[in-house]
Amino acid sequence: MTMFKTSLAGFVALAALAAPASAQDGAAYFNGKTVNYIVATAPGGGYDSYGRLVAEFMQKHLPGSTFVVRNMPGAGHLIGTNALYASKPDGLTLGTFNTGLIYNQLVANEGVKFDLNKFSWIGKAASDARVFAVASQSPIKTWADLVGAKEPVNFSTAGVGSASYVETVILTKALKLPIRIQTGYNGADDQLAMRRGEIVGSIASRSSYDQFVKNGYGRYIAQIGGADKDTPQLNTLVKDANGLELIALIESTSEIARLTAAPPAVPAPQLAALRDAYKKAMEDADLQARAEKLERPVEPLYGDDIAKMIAAALKQSPETVALLKESMSKK
Amino acid sequence: MVDAIGAGLWALVGNPQTMGLMLIAVLIGLIVGATPGIGGRLSIALAIPFVFGMDMTQGAVFLLTMHAVNGTSGQISSIMFGVPGDGDDAATTIDGYPMAKKGEAGRALGASITASGVGGIIGAGVFAVMIPLLEPVVLAFSPAEFFLLAILGITFIAFLAGKGQIFKGMIVGLFGMMLATVGMDPQTGTARYAGDYLFLWDGLSLVTAVLAIFAVPEMISLAARGGSISALSAETAHFSYRQLFQGVLEVPRHWFLALRTSIIGAMIGMVPGLGGSAAAWMCYGHAVQTSKHPERFGHGAVEGVIAPETASNAKEGGSLLPTLFFGIPGSSGMAVLMGAFLILGIQPGPAMMTTNLDLVWTLIWALVVGNLIAVSFLLFITRWVALLTFVNGAMLVPFILVLVTVGAYANEGQWENLVILLVISVVGWGLMRWDWPRAPFVIGLVLGKIAEESLHKALGLWGLGFFTRPLSLVLIGMIAVTIAYALYNNLRGKNAMPVGAGS
Repeated sequence: MTMFKTSLAGFVALAALAAPASAQDGAAYFNGKTVNYIVATAPGGGYDSYGRLVAEFMQKHLPGSTFVVRNMPGAGHLIGTNALYASKPDGLTLGTFNTGLIYNQLVANEGVKFDLNKFSWIGKAASDARVFAVASQSPIKTWADLVGAKEPVNFSTAGVGSASYVETVILTKALKLPIRIQTGYNGADDQLAMRRGEIVGSIASRSSYDQFVKNGYGRYIAQIGGADKDTPQLNTLVKDANGLELIALIESTSEIARLTAAPPAVPAPQLAALRDAYKKAMEDADLQARAEKLERPVEPLYGDDIAKMIAAALKQSPETVALLKESMSKK
Repeated sequence: MVDAIGAGLWALVGNPQTMGLMLIAVLIGLIVGATPGIGGRLSIALAIPFVFGMDMTQGAVFLLTMHAVNGTSGQISSIMFGVPGDGDDAATTIDGYPMAKKGEAGRALGASITASGVGGIIGAGVFAVMIPLLEPVVLAFSPAEFFLLAILGITFIAFLAGKGQIFKGMIVGLFGMMLATVGMDPQTGTARYAGDYLFLWDGLSLVTAVLAIFAVPEMISLAARGGSISALSAETAHFSYRQLFQGVLEVPRHWFLALRTSIIGAMIGMVPGLGGSAAAWMCYGHAVQTSKHPERFGHGAVEGVIAPETASNAKEGGSLLPTLFFGIPGSSGMAVLMGAFLILGIQPGPAMMTTNLDLVWTLIWALVVGNLIAVSFLLFITRWVALLTFVNGAMLVPFILVLVTVGAYANEGQWENLVILLVISVVGWGLMRWDWPRAPFVIGLVLGKIAEESLHKALGLWGLGFFTRPLSLVLIGMIAVTIAYALYNNLRGKNAMPVGAGS
């Protein structure tokens, strides 16, 4: 089965090389068809907002098509992603999920029934830089303060095995940070806990903390990825080679956020048409205006670039994989 | 301040367009709320594209009203058919459905709808009063207090079970707590009791469990018994607007209870971390615990309808507080609402107090007016809706079972939940058949999870000494008193078992 799929993918890749300008023929295929867009989380929140925006504007740029958004939440995006991977590769099912699943695949976690290398990548809409956010009442004001802290400080994460937990554990271990991890903080629990003072900081996506910092409740002491000038990049503060490797892994994961993918081996003309429509959607002034109002930045990348970045992120040294494995579950 | 109060009201009622939008929002909110399995969060997520064109005030009023009246209509199917739309409504079912069986659907609906409205309005009042106290109150509750609050809620099981049934109640409650451990454990990253089934990683679906424990057994019983839901015919039950208004008057008759449960509900809403269903259940427990006749509960006590309904609407006002003034949403529904506020150009945070005070008051007024509209509308149509309880069960049961199935599926969109529905329904039917209390099951399921998670957090943060914080000590005192009172009551009342229990 897998071999068949692989050879099919190879064949499709060859076909794509042979007929590169098939977007036009492919677009006609979608006329009168319904496309399901799977969002691997519940309604509301980032993935849902981006998913609905992408679906609406891809429909606009694929004449005659109807896009339907389906939320398939559960098991930290695994249910929706497995369903997307297993769906028929006719170009009529697309979807979006958390890039943090890279970690799950790297350690071959239970529940992973997909190979990220084989998805038909359409594009990504944004980057999701990570920050070290620290409560404003804490004496820790800079990266040096954190590294030099005499007592370990409490950092919050979501549940053990979640992307936020994995990133916090690997950075804490590799950089030997004085951080004590408190798990089980979901949604905005961590921000309230930082205001109460029981939690000092969190390694989180910058977009979820901007409001918090703007309100004066916290500050950033380091950042991974993104182009913001107000916070030093973590890889300029760290010298350890192993640490830099892990920071690069997190950066590449953060780079490919809010992605759109189709199941493996979508026929070349349909895939070309989907990528074309996605690109037009991202360049659509209306979409950009809407995204700006939603405070959801648009920094797109397309098709093969994503495939390359995913492939690079999935090539990690055995040491890194071992560290990830260790951090996926407690003991 | 007084200027802002007036300006806020005028911005709402002085503008026909805003009022028109509000009417639409109330209707949508009521329809979504009446449909089992679909939450208010989905309706806001779907409404977001429509608010792009609206101005700040109108958009915010539209979304908030839609969200706030959601809980007002969910009770209709809970009371009439024993089919709760979500975890909050399940508490209303326990006494609401027995009332319908006695031919008192009109009275139960009158009381519950009015209670929702009163709860929503008092919730708005609590919102207004608490603005200056928000910071110290919200920040006083940490995982240690959440754990103790959950334990306090669990001790109410002793009262819910009815006299002489305390051990049955504890067994059922423990069974609920046991099922609360199903799923991915956030402390170890291990999937517990989930086998190879990914859909169990997020725990047992509360809506499915509640439908299985309450709705399905009642439908089996109705089908087996024959006749209609109401044991009395429409004529003998004197079904009319009059009965409805009797129900409405029950709320002022129990005004002190309604006031207390509204305030408790609003406070629970204000402190993020306890979750939505906890408010309704803790207030139901509170009503039983403080009643002079706790044995009437579960058999159609009107207080058992008033308490959870006031709480579930009042918590909306409460949960808006940290969302607006901290920019930290108190629930997943509020997180979506906050996202929508950002689109409208509202920046939630402490600056709201100074820059947007008029808008804050408009929102408070929107809660009040929206609840009033919803209540009047529902009271008006309920007369006809409630007649369904007099329809022959043979015609009704298939439709209701479809409603139950759709509810169990639609909530998470996973067919596997239908299997869970079937399995737990057998348990629910067994409990009903042999007259075991069912409410403790849901309490165990809802609060067991909160208790476990917050205990782990508290131990991680402070070690074993976590309960020596001052507020924790107060809560421990309350728990001790509750348990002592329950034991005293139960042992003393052992020989005075009420007649007709469980019929």
